[in-house]
Amino acid sequence: MRRAVGAVMAVLLAVVVAGCAVQIPSDPRGTLDRVTGGILRVGASPSGELVRVDAGEASGPLADLVEGFARERGAEVDWTVGGEEDLVDGLETGTLDVAIGGMTDATPWSDRVSVTRGYTGIPGAGERAVVLLLPLGENALQSALEAFLDEEVGP
Amino acid sequence: MRSMGRTDLPVAQREALRKAIRWEWFTIGYTSVTIVLIALVVGGSQAMKTAWIEDMLSLIPQVSFLVALLLIRRPPSRRFPYGLHRAMGVGHLIAGVALLIIGTNLAIESIVGLARAEHPAIGTVRLFGQTIWLGWLMVAVMAVTVVGPFFYGHAKSKLAPPLHNKVLFADADMAKADWTTTVASIVGVLGVGAGQWWLDFAAALFISCGIVWDGWKNTRSAVLDLMDQRARTFDDEEPHPLASRIVAQLERQPWVREASVRIRDMGQVFHVEAFVVPWRGRVRLDRVEAAREGIAKLDWKVQDVVVVPVTSLPEETSSPHGGGKETGP
Repeated sequence: MRRAVGAVMAVLLAVVVAGCAVQIPSDPRGTLDRVTGGILRVGASPSGELVRVDAGEASGPLADLVEGFARERGAEVDWTVGGEEDLVDGLETGTLDVAIGGMTDATPWSDRVSVTRGYTGIPGAGERAVVLLLPLGENALQSALEAFLDEEVGP
Repeated sequence: MRSMGRTDLPVAQREALRKAIRWEWFTIGYTSVTIVLIALVVGGSQAMKTAWIEDMLSLIPQVSFLVALLLIRRPPSRRFPYGLHRAMGVGHLIAGVALLIIGTNLAIESIVGLARAEHPAIGTVRLFGQTIWLGWLMVAVMAVTVVGPFFYGHAKSKLAPPLHNKVLFADADMAKADWTTTVASIVGVLGVGAGQWWLDFAAALFISCGIVWDGWKNTRSAVLDLMDQRARTFDDEEPHPLASRIVAQLERQPWVREASVRIRDMGQVFHVEAFVVPWRGRVRLDRVEAAREGIAKLDWKVQDVVVVPVTSLPEETSSPHGGGKETGP
């Protein structure tokens, strides 16, 4: 019986790979496609040198990186300022695409949102391995963002 | 009288056992490497996590086989008059229960994940100056590790019948089905890659159902043997043919009117109680002794034998004349 189920799975695999003919990885909610040439909705929570907030706009090294990523994608950044939990809520409900702040690779939010690899090369991060938060399982967005950050600030 | 049970083996069995031990050590080594490799890439995929835990669980039958072998070599003693053969059954039971509990746990986890629509997150890694999606590495690792179980699964399934070893048989059986786990986890990961997040949980559920099924089969078989069901073949398919051979051998004796037998499986060897109804009211001791030795010569598994003269055959024992009723599971 397991042999038969295995064969079915193999066929399913072929269908998934060939039939969809999509890029791998891709986003279940299509965030990266929507953002490209559109608007990147970023939530910012102030954190020392890393993220400064002034009149609803974020600045600082981490905010600049996100602006750079948006530029590469031909997108405008729409800033939202809030506390970390508000930002995580925003990612979960789909009102935000990225959240930045003083989050590190030890962040407790990892079961509610996707967390990028930690980056130590960001000015103002000090010893911390800074991470960015994304909607859970938006793997194409995560891959694109991580590839961008690898180029800009090193792995 | 010298000791009745047997703890040494004939040449063919000793050879098979030597090979089995070598394969078990090889499997443990291979699986450990697999576990480390998967640990490096496990990421946020439930299917990968499930396959990883299954690999860890698959070590239990091998370890319990090797531990039980150390014990069953000990000769019977006053304290353990039947020897320590049941150690094999205990190991079998432990393996079965572990698979059953953890498999159920994993199945629930994947159902909950599916119900909550938790999209699995699989990011990238930086490798040789390139940013690579971790999913590709998962697929690569699983594709590399799929080959091993084919070899040791088939090798062990050839060794299980001559040794009449159910732990080895179950172990080989699971190894032979292991490729379905690997394929499922690859499907799950590629599903996530294609944006079909649910495929990950479907694959995880498939793998955990396989674990539960293995656990159920092993637990059932181990419990039935520990509860002394009548001895069956190594794959539990049918009553062991030795029973009728023993009865036939006894009934060939001129002094025996009818005979029946009660055999329990001690793990690798049997414990035999043979009942004989003699033609006359008196039985010579040397005939009973000769019958006992005759049975012991039939097969290496039946060394622990008692022959009991009785006036009529107990109903629950196996004989060709209708005494072999089988009720219950």
